[in-house]
Amino acid sequence: MPRRKDIKKVLMIGSGPIVIGQACEFDYSGSQACKALREEGYFTILINSNPATIMTDPGMADVTYIEPLTVEMVTKIIAKERPDAILATLGGQTGLNLAFFLMKRGILKKYGVESIGASVSAISCAEDRELFKKAMQEIRVDVPKSGIATSLEEGMKIGLSIGFPLILRPAYTLGGSGGSIAYNREELEKFLVKGLETSPVHQILVEQSILGWKEIEFEVMRDASDNVIMITSMENVDPMGVHTGDSIVVAPAQTLTAEEYNNFVNLSKRIIRRIGVTGGGANIQFAQNPKNGNIVIIEVNPRLSRSSALASKATGFPIARVATKLAVGYTLPEVMNQITGKTTSFFEPTVDYCVFKICRFTFEKFPCAQRVLNTSMKAVGEAMSIGRNFKEAFQKGIRSMEISRFGFGCDGKDKVTDEELKKSSNGLIKLIRDKIRVPNDERIFYIRYALKAGLSVEEICSLSNIDRWFVDNMKELVEIEGEVFKCRNNKSDEEIKLPLGLLRKAKENGFSDRQLAFILNSKEGKVRDLRKKQNIKAVYKLVDTCAGEVAAKQPYYYSTYETADEARPSKNKKVIILGGGPNRIGQGIEFDYCCCHAAYALKEEGIDSIMVNCNPETVSTDYDTSDRLYFEPLTFEDIMNIIELEKPFGVIVQFGGQTPLNLAVSLLKAGVNILGTSAESIDIAEDRKRFKHMLHKLGLLQPDNGTAFNFEEAKEVAKKIGYPVLVRPSYVLGGRAMEIAYDEEALEKFIKDAAEVSGEHPVLIDKFLEDAIEVDVDLIGDGETFVIGGILEHIEYAGVHSGDAAMSLPTYTLSEDSLHKIRKATYEMANELSLVGLMNIQYAVKDDKVYVLEVNPRASRTIPFVSKAIGVPLAEIATKVLLGKNLKDLGFTKEIIPKHVSIKESVFPFNRFPGVDVILGPEMKSTGEVMGIDKDFGRAYIKSQLAAGQKLPRKGNIFISVRDRDKRQVIFVAKKLVDLGFNIYASTGTAQALDKSGIKVKVLPKIAEGRPNILDLMKDGKVQLVINTPSGRIPRQDEIKIRSHVILYNIPYTTSISAAQATVSGIEVLLKNDLEVKSLQAYHKKRKK
Amino acid sequence: MKAILMLEDGKSFLGETEGLKGERIGEVIMNTVVVGYQEMITDPANADKILVLTYPLIGNYGCSPKFNESDNIWLAGLVIKEKSRIFSNWQAKESFDDFVKRHNLLSLYAVDTRTLAVHLRQKGSMLGIISTNCFEAKELLAKIKDFSKNKPLGLLAKISTEKKKQLGLPGKKKIAILDLGITNSIIRQLESLGLSLTILPFNTTAEDILRIKPKGLIISGGPEEITELEKVAENIRPLIGKVPILGISSGNLVLAIVLGVKLNKLKTGHRGVNYPVQSPCSFKGEITVQNHAYVLDPGSLLKIKGLKITSYNLNDRTVEEIESRKLKILGVQYAPSSPGFNEVHNVFNRFMKMLGRN
Repeated sequence: MPRRKDIKKVLMIGSGPIVIGQACEFDYSGSQACKALREEGYFTILINSNPATIMTDPGMADVTYIEPLTVEMVTKIIAKERPDAILATLGGQTGLNLAFFLMKRGILKKYGVESIGASVSAISCAEDRELFKKAMQEIRVDVPKSGIATSLEEGMKIGLSIGFPLILRPAYTLGGSGGSIAYNREELEKFLVKGLETSPVHQILVEQSILGWKEIEFEVMRDASDNVIMITSMENVDPMGVHTGDSIVVAPAQTLTAEEYNNFVNLSKRIIRRIGVTGGGANIQFAQNPKNGNIVIIEVNPRLSRSSALASKATGFPIARVATKLAVGYTLPEVMNQITGKTTSFFEPTVDYCVFKICRFTFEKFPCAQRVLNTSMKAVGEAMSIGRNFKEAFQKGIRSMEISRFGFGCDGKDKVTDEELKKSSNGLIKLIRDKIRVPNDERIFYIRYALKAGLSVEEICSLSNIDRWFVDNMKELVEIEGEVFKCRNNKSDEEIKLPLGLLRKAKENGFSDRQLAFILNSKEGKVRDLRKKQNIKAVYKLVDTCAGEVAAKQPYYYSTYETADEARPSKNKKVIILGGGPNRIGQGIEFDYCCCHAAYALKEEGIDSIMVNCNPETVSTDYDTSDRLYFEPLTFEDIMNIIELEKPFGVIVQFGGQTPLNLAVSLLKAGVNILGTSAESIDIAEDRKRFKHMLHKLGLLQPDNGTAFNFEEAKEVAKKIGYPVLVRPSYVLGGRAMEIAYDEEALEKFIKDAAEVSGEHPVLIDKFLEDAIEVDVDLIGDGETFVIGGILEHIEYAGVHSGDAAMSLPTYTLSEDSLHKIRKATYEMANELSLVGLMNIQYAVKDDKVYVLEVNPRASRTIPFVSKAIGVPLAEIATKVLLGKNLKDLGFTKEIIPKHVSIKESVFPFNRFPGVDVILGPEMKSTGEVMGIDKDFGRAYIKSQLAAGQKLPRKGNIFISVRDRDKRQVIFVAKKLVDLGFNIYASTGTAQALDKSGIKVKVLPKIAEGRPNILDLMKDGKVQLVINTPSGRIPRQDEIKIRSHVILYNIPYTTSISAAQATVSGIEVLLKNDLEVKSLQAYHKKRKK
Repeated sequence: MKAILMLEDGKSFLGETEGLKGERIGEVIMNTVVVGYQEMITDPANADKILVLTYPLIGNYGCSPKFNESDNIWLAGLVIKEKSRIFSNWQAKESFDDFVKRHNLLSLYAVDTRTLAVHLRQKGSMLGIISTNCFEAKELLAKIKDFSKNKPLGLLAKISTEKKKQLGLPGKKKIAILDLGITNSIIRQLESLGLSLTILPFNTTAEDILRIKPKGLIISGGPEEITELEKVAENIRPLIGKVPILGISSGNLVLAIVLGVKLNKLKTGHRGVNYPVQSPCSFKGEITVQNHAYVLDPGSLLKIKGLKITSYNLNDRTVEEIESRKLKILGVQYAPSSPGFNEVHNVFNRFMKMLGRN
């Protein structure tokens, strides 16, 4: 059927900021959808609050709104733009929920907007547990048995009829609290009593436990003519009990028989038909009892999901693009398969390789959080790897994770050494067993230790419930490691004695040169030389959707060790762009955004772009972003293999964040041409001594500082420069292990952590400038001309990591004099470093003095935000500069200071880590960002808060408790709030200060001293906003409790006085006028050519 | 033990074998299926072929008698990338290795099957020889040449049932099945329709078929041995128009031969589980299992009165299904496999309709 002509305008909803569980896969699917819609000539309207996305680039949609994703704002956009249809299946759960609420409130009906992709009934059927259960029973698909009990007797009856083990979930408790597993009658009784008490409505869900079952997923697509295809199956290596977003996953499923596979296919078809998806995709999750093959359905997502992004990248099938075409009426046979260029989308992709997905965690950022995986997702990113067997993909996957591991252990980074394993003390064996039994992010490494310590495959399987096929594959790797070990050198400078057959076998099973060098007591370079001499080289195979059956037009590549190379390096001039690897805190979508823009710019310049990345969630790993895509880990070995094959003119390292920048030096040493700012200049910026020297030469200020390798040295430095001091390791991103020490005691503790992270480099110690204003400057240069992209003023005072701080562009409190000093310093340093490309400088302004904190000679996290605020694609221009163009010719020679205000705000994953304090500090903790844009600061700020999910109140009660230093400033804040009609509650100390200034305030007792206390009020929903600044270095117990309740009950909060001030001015705006929406295109109208 | 696969065109691939020694010659074909290795190697349609599986990990879930498509492995040889050393599935009764050894299948593993598959795609399927004892190109190529000159006949006699067999429910609607290499999964589907099934040897004559008074005849799929299929065609010619006939895969080729439709051989054949077919008058299509190298020539087909093409392969527009109400013929080139547990492919329902109520 041809595309629908009754639709002209389509509204697309994005997924908002990157949070755990909803990452940049929705930028990938959303931008594919935008392209697919515009290809068909539809007028496309996009809303998303996340500026770091490719989809919000002005060229992607006809009209782009960077506005909060709330029903109110979307309604305003609908009223203004009057779309005919809304496509909500590509914006994750956020997009789907918004569409659902728009429907429920009658807004879609009122404006005559149709929900395409998934009908409202399909969404309800998949989302509403009762409807879903009923629908599944209708088509004879089993759901886990369960019942709701309101009394002990009832619960016992339900429980005993289902059988043990049972999962008990008290109703309406937050974050699954109070849930438990009962293995016997006694436990069932005990937990029922407890659970009924915990539940505010005295209800408890008693459910059949499917812990340890296999978790199998299917990606399914269906069109309006009822054509259904399976994209791929996926098997979770971690069984049920670990969230699939945290699980190690392989595609296709490895341990299903053909009969089982067909049954899953058949069930999937029945399910997608019953749910009623009539033009789009769905992800279906099953659990299968490994002992008898029984299958139950876990859930259905009638939308694009994280798994569909993975399925897309694993098979080459562009699910989002095809789903969009189906949503506007096409059938599968009418949509071409762009990878093969010959077949249609009505076929099922088949693969001739094994795909492995592994998740990236950042527990190190939240030391108080339990390092345990369960049904609440905790991963912040993922890496995908491809190999000709599981073992190769597995090892490549581990080294893709950017946790400085080079495969399945034996890389010199193992926590438990071989000697310890040989001894295998009882304590160690117990630890290993525990680490295998309870899912955690290090489990696979403990499986290796277990195998080395002689535990049997059977025991490991029964401890972990991981299928023995996977465990045995891991065992094979340990065996190969053992074989290689037999050829170990006595001295590291000896010739390598490894037989060629074994070397080849090791490479075919994914061992990196680095691992082999470690096992053999040799050097990585030596292993590499030997390999090259013996012609054991990586070859490249294709992801072509068809296992080689059709010659593919637009495939992508993965490396393996086989006989023939299928890579097709072109003769054109070409440039390699190194991507950023898996998302993690400190390195996210912003860098992928820059890499994509580099590819676009290269295309414009007629140069072949070659992308190297391993993150399946990204736009950069889409098949049509670059001319050639290598789905590979970002390690020296893997990159050099590609460079030697492609022989590019140059390599871009400054866009992918710290990952590629860290490789710059070794690549340079290997003779690679690094484009942009010279390695010499990079070294000046990164080397403390040389940097200091440069500042001195230019007459610029820097906080007093020094370096140290241990506590003794650190103590000396701190004494000299005076407390408080900022302690941080060298060469890290996201403020890893960065802390502010107010005294010697704290210094000692921090130095230890920092030294560990820093490794062979010294720990840096800076004088901490309390209450200074921090400023971020992004600029671009071509070696001669330098232009500031944006000067961003932090809203929080110094001490909050720039990745976490809210920022305003233009600045809003800095004096003209300070700004002048900042500009002057910026241009002087750019000139001194002969900047070519992008650079980010951080300043602190205190008492009208401007201090240089840091210079990063690479694209910064704020590039996409600044680009959108000023309406200039900085990364694209920077790429052209890297290729030798100058800024004058490119027409960007003057700093743009926009009339409107743009605010960047960060979002945090605190709700995933119960018990972690929400205070911000020098270590970055945010996962994503939003942008608020409007004509003045107040409006822009409130939009940024709404977009970040803060439900700021218009009336009600506000609790204030601030440290002594902030008491003077909080008076103004409180007074304004009273004027706006709010009631103020305060802690004793704060109340005294407010009372003195004549502000009416209710005093609340300390938590231990009386009730109702603040916690009671929060629980009862009587507090609408909490303003709480930490009292000092060691926060008081009360404060921690208050702040953890804020997260638990989702109450808006601020933890700094400056943010409180901004919030109050925002609330004022909210009360006085209605917020309006304005598109990016309208903001930047004048600047258009 | 090292072993070699030498192709007719001189290209060779090294691999390894275990246990069995010797040489096997056959047409080298590739199949892109991910699961179903046991079904694949026991399918009589692959008889005498050297089968290359493009999916690199084989044996993961072991083997079990219930997955057999026939009682034997009919392959000349098997070529794979990696053989799993263990198996893991609750239904598995033995390892893939044991299964293969028990059936004396010469299997070559550790082969760069991707490169082999791409080579076959480019050059078309061709003869090849697997050898464990000779690695001399000249000698091996001579053997291939010799084989192609004196191709052994009588494959259908080996595969087909020797005697008439009765299956299904006696007394119910009677269907005759001409066994050119029928698979267990097709029989299971027919059984679930509650029919009385008479399985007949491949060379049963038209009179003998009419004598058992079937309501309909199914000509099963099997190896595409055109010379032998031509003989079967001669046998059943008198039945056209008298008994409703369903031709499956090579059975459909038999129908084509009877009707005078030209056969074309594809360069590489359709072999996998992901082939889309679509009726020319509908937007609705179907993903099918296919395992055939021959297709019906549409030009010569459309000259026959009353014969219609009811499905095309969407990838290359070849004919996948024909029907004639007048001649009471239904023919599918694809394999009408069960869509799932205890379910029946729609083509069997359509054939039942053609048979009418009685």
